[in-house]
Amino acid sequence: MTWTDDLRRILQRLRGERPEAQPPGGIECHEAMAKIFDWLDNELDPQEAECVGEHLQTCARCYPRLKFEQAFCEALKRASSNETAGADLQQQILDALVEEGYTTD
Amino acid sequence: MDAVYRFALRLTGEPDAASDLTQDTFLRAWENWDRYTPGTKAKSWLFTICRNLFLRRRERARRHDEIVTAVADDDPRNVSRESTVFLAVKDRDPEGAFWSDVVDARILEAIEALPPEFREAVVLSDLEDLSYAEIAKVMDVPVGTVKSRLFRGRRILQERLYQYALSEGIITDEGREA
Repeated sequence: MTWTDDLRRILQRLRGERPEAQPPGGIECHEAMAKIFDWLDNELDPQEAECVGEHLQTCARCYPRLKFEQAFCEALKRASSNETAGADLQQQILDALVEEGYTTD
Repeated sequence: MDAVYRFALRLTGEPDAASDLTQDTFLRAWENWDRYTPGTKAKSWLFTICRNLFLRRRERARRHDEIVTAVADDDPRNVSRESTVFLAVKDRDPEGAFWSDVVDARILEAIEALPPEFREAVVLSDLEDLSYAEIAKVMDVPVGTVKSRLFRGRRILQERLYQYALSEGIITDEGREA
């Protein structure tokens, strides 16, 4: 802590202001917002993921946005999860491979 | 195999063509087995083959009247960080509960209607769980491009699905339907 920090705190107290609190996760909202998809997509390194995650999950302003994007991504995933190629296609592919001269063993 | 089929279905937009493309992908993969780099994700490799086959075929099928495809604007600076849909619903449904009431078929339709560059990014990430680096390899573009395409694709989808949700009364101007 430098003397300028001390001075700022003293001035804040004199003005009747509460000292600035550390933002959740140690990062500001705009930084967390910029990385919201990186976090949801598991693309951050563990240390950064922890900060961003803590911010998004504890900040009253950012938390709804996190839930909103999460619900959206989950809906996308769910939409195609029931699609399968059908039993025929697997057999067709095996047949085609055999026809090309490959053996199944 | 289901994953390859799903990807093929998103590329072609119809089941028969997707089955053919899946079959050809596996044949091609079999023929090129020696070119597969051990350690890389087999799924990514198959998606790459599938995509290349699809693109080559589309190129061949293209008629004299050149199909004008919208060039994707990949500049991340042109992407707004704000979500217009979130701003629109944040007072009545801040956690986006209405997304879970949007029917699957409508979501898939909206994905298929996306410009191809955005569609591929969304499908490979949201539907097939590939990492940005893996998607970059499949699509043969830098990771930054993957990120901006994915981001824009999701935004477009959100706006379209929100309009649909409004028109179906899944979410109303007053609040979410019970």
